[in-house]
Amino acid sequence: MAHIHLGEGSFPLWALVLWTLIGAGLISAVVYRVRKGGIKTHQIALAGIGAAASFAIFQLNIPVWGGIHMNLTGLVGILAGPLLGALIALVVNIFSAALGHGAVGLIGANTLVNASEAIVAYYAFKTLIQLDWDTFPASASAATLGLSSGAILMGAIIVVSGVNGSALPRADLTVAVGGLVGLNLGVAVIEGVLTGFIVQFLATVRPDLVDLADRKDREEPAGVTA
Amino acid sequence: MTTLSNHVPDPRLITAFAEHRDGPLHRINPWTKVGFVGALVLAVTVFDRLALLAGLYASVLAVYGVAGLPYRRLVGWYTLPLLFIISVAGPLAFLEPGTPIVGALSTPLGSLSVTWEGLVLFGELACRSLTVVTFTLAASMTTRYADVAYMLGRLLPRPIDQVALLTYRFTFVMIETLENLVKAALSRGANFSEFWSNKRLYARILGMTMLSAIEQSERLVKSMEARGYDGDLTLYGDVSRPPIHELLLVVGSYVAVIGYAVVAVYGVGL
Repeated sequence: MAHIHLGEGSFPLWALVLWTLIGAGLISAVVYRVRKGGIKTHQIALAGIGAAASFAIFQLNIPVWGGIHMNLTGLVGILAGPLLGALIALVVNIFSAALGHGAVGLIGANTLVNASEAIVAYYAFKTLIQLDWDTFPASASAATLGLSSGAILMGAIIVVSGVNGSALPRADLTVAVGGLVGLNLGVAVIEGVLTGFIVQFLATVRPDLVDLADRKDREEPAGVTA
Repeated sequence: MTTLSNHVPDPRLITAFAEHRDGPLHRINPWTKVGFVGALVLAVTVFDRLALLAGLYASVLAVYGVAGLPYRRLVGWYTLPLLFIISVAGPLAFLEPGTPIVGALSTPLGSLSVTWEGLVLFGELACRSLTVVTFTLAASMTTRYADVAYMLGRLLPRPIDQVALLTYRFTFVMIETLENLVKAALSRGANFSEFWSNKRLYARILGMTMLSAIEQSERLVKSMEARGYDGDLTLYGDVSRPPIHELLLVVGSYVAVIGYAVVAVYGVGL
C-alpha cells in the first residue's frame, strides 16, 4: 500500500457512487469465491491477523523522504493469496478510514487500488518463481509491480473521476496527477525492495509460508546416481 | 507508545480515550455517530462553496473540542490527509484556470501562477478532507471497544465481519509485538534514522512481525476449533437503537444535505 490514500470529498458524487459499486462488486465476487470454496478456519485467522499485522506495520515510520508508512500490501498478497489479500485490503481500509487515513466515502476506490496491488503481486511472484527466479528478486519485483499497478490505477481513478470543484481539463489533470503517481512509483520501489528482504527472511525461517518448501526439496542435490 | 510514529493515530490511544474519558460525545449512541459520518461524507461531496465547507469544518472542530479531545494530537494526525491534499491540490492550485494572484512566472513549459480559483480549490479540498477525518477520529475516540466490535459484526457480511473482528482484536497485540521488536533492536544499539543502510534490519523486524502474526493465527486456529468455531465469533455486547431525538437529528442532517444538493447544486426548482 505504497500510495497516498484518496482523500474525502475529492471526487464528485457520481464518481463516489461508481467506485463504491465497482469496489463492492469486486469484494462480492471475492466473497462468493471464498464462500463457494468453503472458507476454512485457518483462512479466517490468517486474514484477520494478517490484516492486523499490516495495520500495525503502518504505524512504523520509515525514514525516507521525511517519513513514509507502508502496509506491505504486496507482501500480504504473496503470503495470503489474491482472495484473502483483497479481503485484507478492504478491512485495512475500513480501519484506516476510522483513524482518519483514507476516506470513508472512498473505501471502494481505495480497496480497488490496494486489492489490485495484492492480486498483481501474488500472480507476479508465482510466475517469477516458476521461471526459477531467486526469492529476493522475484518478491521484490512482484511487490514493485503490484504496487506500481496500484499507483497507476489510483492515478487513472483520479483522472476518470475528475477532482471535485476543479474546472481543469482532463489532459491538464493528467499532468497534475502524474507527479503524484511518480511519487508513488518511487515509494513502490522502496516497499518492493523491503518486501524482497522480508520474503527472503521468511523463506529462510519458514519456506512453507511462501510456498517454497517444494522448490527447496526439488533444488536439493540428489547426489550422484551413476 | 510513541516509539513507532507520532503522526499516525495509535489505536491504543484512540481506544484509551474511548474507554477512560467521559464527554458529551461518549454519551451519543454509536449508531448516531455512524449516521453522522455518512451525512458528512455526503455533505463534503456535494457542498460546492468554500464558505459552506469552512463552516462545516469549523463546526466539526468545535464538536471535537466540546467532546474534550486533544487538538494538539489532531494537528499531528493531519499529516497523512494533508499529504494527499498537497500532492493533488498543490499542482492544481497552479494549473487551475483563472485569475492569477500575483504575476505569472515564466518557465520553459509556459507561464506559471497560482490562481484565485486554484487557491479556493485547495481550501475546498482541505476542508472536505479534514472535516470527515476530524469527525471520524472524534467518533473513534468516543466509541467503546465493545460497541465498535458489535457494529463491525452487524454491518459487514460474513466472512468479512469475522476477519474484521479478528483484525480489531489483534491490532493491539501486533502493535505491541512490533513495538517490542523495535525497542529490542534499539536497546542493542540499532539506528533507525537512516533506511537504506538499515534496510535488512527493517526487513527483519517487519518480517518477524508478519511471522509472529502467522504463528499467532496458527495457534488461534487450534483454539477456535477447540471451542467449536462454526464461522461465527460470538459477540456479547449490544448497541441499542438511537433515541428518537438523535434519530431525528441524523434524518434532519440528511434532509438538509440532500435538499441543498437538489436546490443549490443541481438547480431543481421548488
